[in-house]
Amino acid sequence: MNTNLKISNVTKIYPGCVANDNVSLEFNSGKIYALLGENGAGKSTLVKILSGVIIPDEGEIYLNKNNLKLNSPLDAKKNDIGMVFQHFNLFETLSVFENLIIDSDEQRESLREKIDLIMKKYNFSIDLDIPVLNLSAGQKQKVEIIRCLIRNPKVLIMDEPTSVLTEQETSELFLSLKKFSEEGILIIYITHKLKEVMQLCDEVAVMRRGKLVSVSEIKNENIESLANKMVGQNLKTIKKKKAKTSSDQLIKITNLNFTSEDPFETNLMDINFSVNRGECLGIAGISGNGQSELFQVLSGEIISEKNSIEFNNSYIGNLNPQERREYLMAFSPEDRLEQAAIPQMKIFENVALNNFKSSNFFNNGLINENKIKEHSKKIISDFNVNTDNIELKSQFLSGGNLQKLIIGRELITSPDLLICFNPTWGLDVGAINYIHETLIKINEQNKSIILISTDTDELLKLSDKISVIHKGKLSKIMNAEEVTSEKLGILMGGAN
Amino acid sequence: MIKIVKRDQPSRAIFFFTPVLAIFLTLVAGGLIFFILGFKPFEALKFFFIVPIADKYGFSELLLKATPLCLIAIGLSFCFKSNNWNIGAEGQLTFGAIVSGGVALLFYEQEGFYILPIVILAGAIGGMLYASIPAILKTYFNTNEILVSLMLVYVSKLILDYLVVGPWSNPEGFNFPETRQFSDSAKLPLLFEGLRIHAGIFLALAAVVISWFVFYKTYLGFQMKVSGFSLKTAKYAGYKGKKMIILVFLISGACAGLAGVGEITGPIGQLHREISPDYGFTAIIVAFLGRLHPVGIIFASLVVAITYLGAETAQIFMQIPKYTGQVFQGMILFFLLASDYLLFFKIKFIGLKK
Repeated sequence: MNTNLKISNVTKIYPGCVANDNVSLEFNSGKIYALLGENGAGKSTLVKILSGVIIPDEGEIYLNKNNLKLNSPLDAKKNDIGMVFQHFNLFETLSVFENLIIDSDEQRESLREKIDLIMKKYNFSIDLDIPVLNLSAGQKQKVEIIRCLIRNPKVLIMDEPTSVLTEQETSELFLSLKKFSEEGILIIYITHKLKEVMQLCDEVAVMRRGKLVSVSEIKNENIESLANKMVGQNLKTIKKKKAKTSSDQLIKITNLNFTSEDPFETNLMDINFSVNRGECLGIAGISGNGQSELFQVLSGEIISEKNSIEFNNSYIGNLNPQERREYLMAFSPEDRLEQAAIPQMKIFENVALNNFKSSNFFNNGLINENKIKEHSKKIISDFNVNTDNIELKSQFLSGGNLQKLIIGRELITSPDLLICFNPTWGLDVGAINYIHETLIKINEQNKSIILISTDTDELLKLSDKISVIHKGKLSKIMNAEEVTSEKLGILMGGAN
Repeated sequence: MIKIVKRDQPSRAIFFFTPVLAIFLTLVAGGLIFFILGFKPFEALKFFFIVPIADKYGFSELLLKATPLCLIAIGLSFCFKSNNWNIGAEGQLTFGAIVSGGVALLFYEQEGFYILPIVILAGAIGGMLYASIPAILKTYFNTNEILVSLMLVYVSKLILDYLVVGPWSNPEGFNFPETRQFSDSAKLPLLFEGLRIHAGIFLALAAVVISWFVFYKTYLGFQMKVSGFSLKTAKYAGYKGKKMIILVFLISGACAGLAGVGEITGPIGQLHREISPDYGFTAIIVAFLGRLHPVGIIFASLVVAITYLGAETAQIFMQIPKYTGQVFQGMILFFLLASDYLLFFKIKFIGLKK
């Protein structure tokens, strides 16, 4: 039987961000669909709507022409929509079998037979009676899939399923998914990995900033064209004037490695680069390829070997962020609300987070509130933050104003190097332009920038040199004039 | 119809209103329990909450019980504000009492103005030492401070038990599990003739003032605030996380240790098995009821202290077991946590839609 799933004009608005902007899509069984987009593009919101976790503000969902009202995950299950989340939802200490029957009201015995049948059919071999904590990531995922299959789903949604799998496990998963599809299950596959889309899927829908950008057949696409659609290259860009870059080296990274204990993080391998005074080095890449880890290593949130980072002729790899600030470095992290600032604190308190010795915010362990306030007023006027009340809690600032405040806070100490990570993410055009102008101005003052960004437009506009990060490795560093968006697209997809 | 709506931001007024609401609901529920047990609810509540503090002696007892609660809760608020979950204040109190008691016993035959300060200092150091165990294990070995600090409570009680029946027991004490009486120089002076309230209250008041100053005026207080909101931001700002964890545990331990000193050198005057009616645990309730604010903690410690006194009065006059006091403490925490829901959600009454 044919399954037809239709999403019609779905909109979901969060305070300050449109997660899904009037998205309409149609899926038919027999095909595997990819939903492609960067982190924050809105694909997770969309599938959470399909699985009943989030209720949309507007729009309808139809399954075989029936209008579905999905108010909870249970509603989605009842309507034969199964979902496997990126992070597993299993009870580690319970057995596989107990995990499988936990949300079912069928008889234990009949379920056991059913599970055995499913496992035989798809060649899964998992011991049902051992605790889940003894399983590998791939096996845990199979348990999640079986849990969906028990209910004979018409639709199976997989959210970033390969992020914790080995290559071998990934190809096994793909075989199973193809089999499910042949049997008439509609598969929606969410990812930002382009290779997998090319390998597995039949059709691809690309989302960017909450909007559906394109729907096309895989045979009409290639890795570069998809990468461009994801990051939105097809806009015209104005490049900054080539700055008169010096050959005076400011920072040099040598053989820097980082191995994480967290399987959801990316390891950094053998990072080497240098930046001269007055230069902007752009680091491109599809998000989740090690950008966050690279930022933390550069800022000192993750400490590395002393000699791996040389800044202004000192070795600083072992210093924490505050100690690095004294060497005239400044940092603007990606996450404005959870890291760069604290929304519940007042504007001037957030300014004090960048505690630079010569600004005298704290004398002999005491807070020098007047000094902080004076400083905050200067930032607000110098960086066009749209308020005159420094006692305002920063949660009442718009994203753009908050980002101006953060950039201002980092720049007012006149650092030699600013490291920023997606500085314009989620901002409106006006704020983006303001931040871009500010960054260009810093370069003109012979200060340097390391710009880690997933926005190719931004990188081509601001960088003097560009490198691409892929799976924790940097490509060779190219002069920005020689780089085309096609070339970046190829490198972001992992080709050489 | 009743609808529950998420608040855009936690309400400031509600922040101070919920503790009051919690106390009110505790009284209602307590009255109900008394009613079910066959007492007149209003009379029972009167015995519980008004009679005990109706005279001078009662008021002195109230302050006597509130003093350790306040002192410990102030210390705990350093931990809780910065996202460190020290729930072993009872152990730190006990160990502080052991160390200071040991020192006081050294001087049991001597008199001198210098003895009391040494005894007090020893108690603070004892509490700090004991609190440093979960702190060091947390920072260097990634252990869970909740478990470690809690388990150490029982260890400290067993150490105390061993000492008072064994090596430190009073040689002339007919094998009672207690030490000698401390000399007068090792005891906190009484404030009024005939009342038990002692100079320990000044330690608590000093802790209130100092903590207020630290929370709102110092760099340490600022770092604690930032860490309490977001550890990620604290890391980004470059705060020395490990140093701060150890510091807040030491402060917390010192306060609990001082509370222990106050008990043994105040009303008790010696070491024996039961030096604290779980002040260290009850102070957790006090800290949260007082919203981790120094002034709030003063009020909260007075309210919770009444439950101790009320339980005793009720036992004497109404033959209700004194453990009812713990029921009330539990109810206060329960209702406080429940009414904190109102911080983030508001209840809307809307007409039925046709």
